Amino acid sequence: MTFRLGYGTNGFADHRLADALSVIADLGYTAVALTLDHRHLDPYAPELAGQLPELAGRLDRLGLRVVVETGARYLLDPYRKHHPTLISDGREVRIDLLARAIRIAAELGADCVSFFSGSVPAGLAPEHAWQRLRAGVAELLPVADRAGVPLGLEPEPGMLVERLDDALRLRTELGEPSALGITLDVGHCVAVEPTSAPDCLRRAAGLLVNVQLDDMRPGVHEHLEFGAGELDLAGCLAALDEIGYTGVAAVELPRHSHAGPELAASSIAALRAALPWLVRAEQQVRQRPEAIASLFPAAGRQLGRASLAPATDPAGLIGGTADDQARIRLIGALAAAAPDRLAAELETLYRYGDDAERRGVLRALTALEPSTELVTVGLELVRDAVRSNDLRLLAAAVGEFAAGHLDQHGWRHAVLKCLFTGVPLAAVAGLHRRADAELARMVTGFAEERTAAGRSVPSDALALLDRLDRLERKVA
Amino acid sequence: MRIFEPHIHMTSRTTDDYQSMYAVGVRALVEPAFWLGQPRTSVGSFTDYFDSLIGWERFRAGQYGIRHHCTIALNPKEANDPRCAPVLDVLPRYLAKDGVVAVGEIGYDSMTPAEDEAFGRQLALAAEHGLPALVHTPHRDKLAGTRRTLDVVAESGLSPGRVLVDHLNELTVRPVAESGCWLGFSIYPDTKMDPDRMVALLREYGTDRVLVNSAADWGHSDPLNTFRTGQAMLAAGFTEDQVRTVLWDNPVAFYGQSGRLVLDELPGFSLAADTFAGNSVLRGGRAG
Repeated sequence: MTFRLGYGTNGFADHRLADALSVIADLGYTAVALTLDHRHLDPYAPELAGQLPELAGRLDRLGLRVVVETGARYLLDPYRKHHPTLISDGREVRIDLLARAIRIAAELGADCVSFFSGSVPAGLAPEHAWQRLRAGVAELLPVADRAGVPLGLEPEPGMLVERLDDALRLRTELGEPSALGITLDVGHCVAVEPTSAPDCLRRAAGLLVNVQLDDMRPGVHEHLEFGAGELDLAGCLAALDEIGYTGVAAVELPRHSHAGPELAASSIAALRAALPWLVRAEQQVRQRPEAIASLFPAAGRQLGRASLAPATDPAGLIGGTADDQARIRLIGALAAAAPDRLAAELETLYRYGDDAERRGVLRALTALEPSTELVTVGLELVRDAVRSNDLRLLAAAVGEFAAGHLDQHGWRHAVLKCLFTGVPLAAVAGLHRRADAELARMVTGFAEERTAAGRSVPSDALALLDRLDRLERKVA
Repeated sequence: MRIFEPHIHMTSRTTDDYQSMYAVGVRALVEPAFWLGQPRTSVGSFTDYFDSLIGWERFRAGQYGIRHHCTIALNPKEANDPRCAPVLDVLPRYLAKDGVVAVGEIGYDSMTPAEDEAFGRQLALAAEHGLPALVHTPHRDKLAGTRRTLDVVAESGLSPGRVLVDHLNELTVRPVAESGCWLGFSIYPDTKMDPDRMVALLREYGTDRVLVNSAADWGHSDPLNTFRTGQAMLAAGFTEDQVRTVLWDNPVAFYGQSGRLVLDELPGFSLAADTFAGNSVLRGGRAG
């Protein structure tokens, strides 16, 4: 599972909401950042209750995941932009808006509600402003908790919470509540953060509930299209992948509504070009599951074939390799996109696969929902692999899936074959759970045969026998 | 002399051939998928063959210090057999594999409608998979077949720079040279081309876009003829740089368009005591 690319409706302010959503989905986005505004799902409209189920249905049909944004300019005060805030006079109005946004988000099945702190009003001491902010957020936390929708505090240039550190400090002061996450705009990072945008994403890692994507120049709070500023877009997307972010990352171009469709099209082209190969491949599999046929073989060329633990496991027999890991993720995407075709496609990938692809399929079995069909196919493939004398295939076959599903006779023979061919027993999952007296007898025979032939007995075999022997004595 | 053998059917050759080839400087090769002499009877026969080209044969070559690549296709001759033609549907699986550097051999045998269909579809597959195409020209009615081949390539939208037209001779070289496609010449003991005739053509047409191969298979052919052509070039006064252009740089440039060539030297190949899928090719088994 990886993150979803979206576009913010505040970049489509001149469109009807339904039209904006259609354009966004048509261009290939799979998420939307919905800014509640007088023209887009006005949270004060009397007909709101009727609009919500319809909108939820529309989002679902278009395949758009949603986050709710609350940065509308003149929704509350027709004279003053973004007013009132959580720290200005009239902050109860802002609190009421955010509470409404939380309820709306819950009805839409949104990931979160993002909000900003507000600028410090003239004449108010910063520490008082901070107290107001903390009190306001504290008041909203139970609302978010009850609704099951986290809040995402977004650092905003020029506001009280301007940088990631400010947001983290507020969280700490509030006792690190689970209902308070972080929304990060990578353009803002370029403008005001002391470290790079990818670094900020890594620092916010576990707390990120929403990400906004746009370009910017250092020191200038102006949302720019990709390429017009100094953002390391590829670095940001790679960082999101690296930290395992699975939420929405939506383009934020609120001053470009006059050319919304053009910007949305050029932005997704830039995003696609900047995506790490694997993330793009996962997206392709989710959109068109049959794409896995050509992406699965390419994993090694794209990501290399190195062991994940080169020092202790140079051939990747125990923990697998970089291409194994990529293939496991591609199969994960396939499982999400086409669960009914998963077992059949796994079999095809294995049957048409070269040795590396076969290992990828075998290693992926462990992480999949073990439906009856999947277990049937998985066992066939594991038995095929165990029949071969290819060390790496054998090692990939004796993981958790085999430990959980292979019959005892077949499993013992797989273990014996590992010893015989030189696969380290560390590659065998559930060894101590499943090893029994019969396996001890077989391994003893193997050791005796080796000794009789004047050949050494693998230390793995001796260690296993020793352990089984001690167990037996304990039982006796 | 370092040689990239751009067309050879190693499946039909012995380990002695691999050793002789290594000895004269062959360090990389391309094995195009073709027919087996004995006609195939099913799609399964193709997939076993393809599996061998991307797996077993690659491993076998590696043991002799030679980097093995292949091309995958339904060959023109068997495109006419309704038992074989459905292999077109499984080609995409194989075209995505490591070591597959082109779609081929495709083209014409007898210029039938079934061959037209297979040729057109496979040129489209080449474009779709970002691979160049290796095109075989027919043994009979060669000039007409070559002209028709060039027409079909021109209509396919695949750029001529991504197409290698093979088995050319004095009569077919000109239209291919004019088309912008790469020019392949197979040097055979009796038929096709020989080293001296090849040298004469190189004098006339130069070394640009020219590839020389042995096309050795299960028939009367010689895997060292590529090397011998290099020798004949030197004897005729071509420089070592010109020989390298024809025998290494040109095939690397053409097949390199796939992005899938692996040309670094195989580490310690001559001492490798590895096995493939449990088959101990080097007798004696593993230590321990």
